[in-house]
Amino acid sequence: MTELSSFLIKWGAEEVGPRRLVIRVEKDKLRDAVKELVSVDEMIYLSTVSAVDYPEKGVIELNYFFWSVTEKKGIIIKVEVPRDEPEIDTITDILPGANNAELEAHDLLGVVFKGNGSLRRGFLLPPEIVEAGVYPLRKDAKGV
Amino acid sequence: MRNKLIRYSPWLVHFNTGACNGCDIEVLAAITPLFDPERMGVKLAPNPRHGDILIVTGAVTKKAGERLKRLYDQMPSPKAVVAVGACAISGGVFAGSYPLVSGADKVIPVDVYVPGCPPRPEAIIDGILKAIKKLEEGGGSD
Amino acid sequence: MVKYVEVPVGPQHPALHEPIMLRVRLDGEVVEGVDIVTGYNHRGVEKLGEKNSWVRDIYIFSRICGICNAVHAQTYTQGVEKLMGVEPPLRAKYIRTIVMELERIHSHMLINAVMAEAIGFDTLFMLIMRDRERVMHLKEIVTGQRVHADIHMIGGVKRDLRPETAEKVLRVLDYIEARLRYYKKVFEEDYTIRKRLEGVGKISKQEALKHSLVGPVLRASGVPSDVRVDDPYSAYDELKPNIVVRHEGDSLARMLLRWDEALESVRLIRDAIKNMPKGNPVPKAIKRAAGKGEVFSRVEAPRGELIYHIVSTGGPKPYRVKVRTPSFNNIVNSGFAYIGERLADVPVILTSFDPCISCTERVLVVDEKRGLRKWVPFMALSRGEIRVT
Repeated sequence: MTELSSFLIKWGAEEVGPRRLVIRVEKDKLRDAVKELVSVDEMIYLSTVSAVDYPEKGVIELNYFFWSVTEKKGIIIKVEVPRDEPEIDTITDILPGANNAELEAHDLLGVVFKGNGSLRRGFLLPPEIVEAGVYPLRKDAKGV
Repeated sequence: MRNKLIRYSPWLVHFNTGACNGCDIEVLAAITPLFDPERMGVKLAPNPRHGDILIVTGAVTKKAGERLKRLYDQMPSPKAVVAVGACAISGGVFAGSYPLVSGADKVIPVDVYVPGCPPRPEAIIDGILKAIKKLEEGGGSD
Repeated sequence: MVKYVEVPVGPQHPALHEPIMLRVRLDGEVVEGVDIVTGYNHRGVEKLGEKNSWVRDIYIFSRICGICNAVHAQTYTQGVEKLMGVEPPLRAKYIRTIVMELERIHSHMLINAVMAEAIGFDTLFMLIMRDRERVMHLKEIVTGQRVHADIHMIGGVKRDLRPETAEKVLRVLDYIEARLRYYKKVFEEDYTIRKRLEGVGKISKQEALKHSLVGPVLRASGVPSDVRVDDPYSAYDELKPNIVVRHEGDSLARMLLRWDEALESVRLIRDAIKNMPKGNPVPKAIKRAAGKGEVFSRVEAPRGELIYHIVSTGGPKPYRVKVRTPSFNNIVNSGFAYIGERLADVPVILTSFDPCISCTERVLVVDEKRGLRKWVPFMALSRGEIRVT
């Protein structure tokens, strides 16, 4: 048994399809999970962070998609942050490759990644939309 | 007088206003050896101030719209504008999306429209020739 | 007193017609740091995807990028097919594969041509572009369009591949293969090219993984990661592509790797045509509603791993489609690779990452001219016509 598979068992990974595993963690456990994942498998990279807005549940779901090159597995870490206070710790100090994904999620959905110094609005959006304070990919966004 | 000179060697300024690159690689293909418009004196200008014909591709995002206006103002008169592709004409599949002006003619006067998604290089060259003709007849915008 | 000189590179690039701006901080000729300016203004593709139906979205997402449109359509349709429980016929999978591999060849040829121009080798640029037209012609006879293939449909493809067309494809491929081998030799042996590219913009294995670089950039740094092999889709589990890996991690390795991949693509297309199963690849009816669920769909685009996260809550429209294009990682996260290089090498390194700005930003980079800052034409810079002293 490899270190990665014991990590997956420890964090309660659930297989959702061919080569896709989902781990659900609380938002204050995310950094621990990512740190451990990077330490057990050195051939792993973060593909993307996909943020999805669920207004009826009152949460924004963040999907951290990792790909393990040696084990050929996609590991999805799902974290939910409350919609009215969408804050989570950054992981850019562990994986600098998370920077673009965090900037995008911040600009389009307003998720705040605490500790990411380069966070700013207008990374993607034109100034009119930034000034209006609209997050276009939120389901209740007006005027987009 | 100047119109006559342009006839022999119209220089192009190409501006991508948020295109998918489809039109851009076709514009690029249109200026490479297989189609070779350089035999008609058509080539890319190194600077907008040297340009005679402005080729606009892309759906014209709000920010790029301002830049497009400035680029157009920088070009010396007489000049002509060719809108290449469905996006530059009306916004194409992106029409109505929030960051878009949707259409080059909402920002600057357009002389020739080349439809297609993307148009073939032959069509782009044809559009350029039509723009030259317009300039020759004293048309185009000042 | 200012410690360093700041030079914005771009956003006008006469060859690629793509705007990007790198704000380069210099100490003499040496790069101290690079800010990649993405003051951008995207086309709102993801929001448009939520507003339109499953079927219309195929055309919207394939128009994210004109160069790699078939892979965008593939990623989207294979995800939607999974959500809808549709399995396309095997022949359709083979036709999709052929189109995607043709796209890979022309994309790799394009970026190598642009690299040749960036280092001032205009003849080579024109020669590669002329031969690339042959590939575009093949794409046209197979799909009906030179650029936007639009051959993908939910549950199949739009049109079948006729035997005469397949024969023509095989014939032209012989010519293309010979040319690809020739260009690879030029890149391997030419003194000027080696001088400009060798050892420039080195990226180690660890750095590449840490910064989430994908595709040829990752493989040129010695990581054998290719979605076609690791996570097979379409007909790749039967065609078994070989992963091309190089270990140097410099710009030359990235360019040579692309020639090797293009040659591998030629083999894949030949095998696909030879082993193509019989049947009707065009679906009779298209499903228009999907069940609940979500899917992460991955495809190896010419520039690297392309990933879509499609969420459905049932009904005629997607709930959310998140698109992450390879260039979004390769360009935005690669600022570290420029540090310590000379100013004239900045365009070379950027080109070796294969920047597809419409993928990255789905926008335009626009910035103001201010104070001492100066707009530098990309070409002039790479040819050393501008000196910062």
